[in-house]
Amino acid sequence: MPPDHPPGAADWRRALARFVAVIPHTRALELEVLEAGPEGVRLRLPWHDDLLGDAARGLVHGGVLTMLLDTACGAAVLPALPAPEVCPTLDLRIDHYRPGVAGQAIIAEARVVRVTTSVVFTEGTLRQQAGPLARGIGNFVRLGPRNTPPGFAEALFADATLDEAPFEERNDHA
Amino acid sequence: MREGFHDVEWLARTRAEGDVQAWLSLIPYARRIGVTAEADPDGEGLLFRLDPREENVGNVLLPALHGGVVAAFMETAATLDLMLAAREPRLPRIVDLSIDYLRTARVMPTLARCTLLREGRRLGNVQVTAWQEREALPVATARLHFVLGAPSAHQHDGGA
Repeated sequence: MPPDHPPGAADWRRALARFVAVIPHTRALELEVLEAGPEGVRLRLPWHDDLLGDAARGLVHGGVLTMLLDTACGAAVLPALPAPEVCPTLDLRIDHYRPGVAGQAIIAEARVVRVTTSVVFTEGTLRQQAGPLARGIGNFVRLGPRNTPPGFAEALFADATLDEAPFEERNDHA
Repeated sequence: MREGFHDVEWLARTRAEGDVQAWLSLIPYARRIGVTAEADPDGEGLLFRLDPREENVGNVLLPALHGGVVAAFMETAATLDLMLAAREPRLPRIVDLSIDYLRTARVMPTLARCTLLREGRRLGNVQVTAWQEREALPVATARLHFVLGAPSAHQHDGGA
């Protein structure tokens, strides 16, 4: 169940950790949620050798950065809404400042800029130790409560002890 | 020096041979998500394919592929297509990308084809369309800008 109080920073961090753990791609990449709340999210992608786009020069694939910004901006949407809704990506725009380098985690920060009745406007940045790598602008469509599966909010805020169980199992008793 | 995109002789040779497999073998993330390329049976360029892997899923409820994985597939396609279609061996480095998601990408094979809209001395513009069941119903379209470097001039990695 959602908490009986407005969710705080710890509730949102747990909820979004669950959110990225349920997404098979980000679960496989062990994406971590460092901070989360209505003001924004901060995620950490640990290093994996197959994040490379140029193995000989040790540069991160640009698509990894797009994937990470899509995920971070999408995660930032949930705490910014009155109630969690399913919000698919409408479009993304990514600017690449410099390539990411091998061996280092990538930190993603994203926040919601504006929520309207139909669209959520977001922005995000990525960085490694040397500084910023890329920025992104992502717009997400609000499908509304009618198109959000029953139990979506409950699954996000389920008891911490159920943290590792997949969504589908929890929907059974939602 | 090891073989790689930065090696102008290696790039020129693999390009002349149309050896896109050699290029993909140096792109671990493209291999992770299951990108392959073949000669386009309906055209002169390449037809790209994204394997519908469980780890490419971004939404388990629908289920649907991760939009960011679809974008990474399309960026890989644009890069390789540009390397093959350019007038001479050039090493593209992405500057920016814009992608529109038109339909849910289901967990099934995704195909993509690219159009090189402009190849200037320093910059290239590539348009990519990705589809699943029918090319007339694209799941996403993207356009990308690349800086075109001479491979030998890229010993040092600065910004784009």
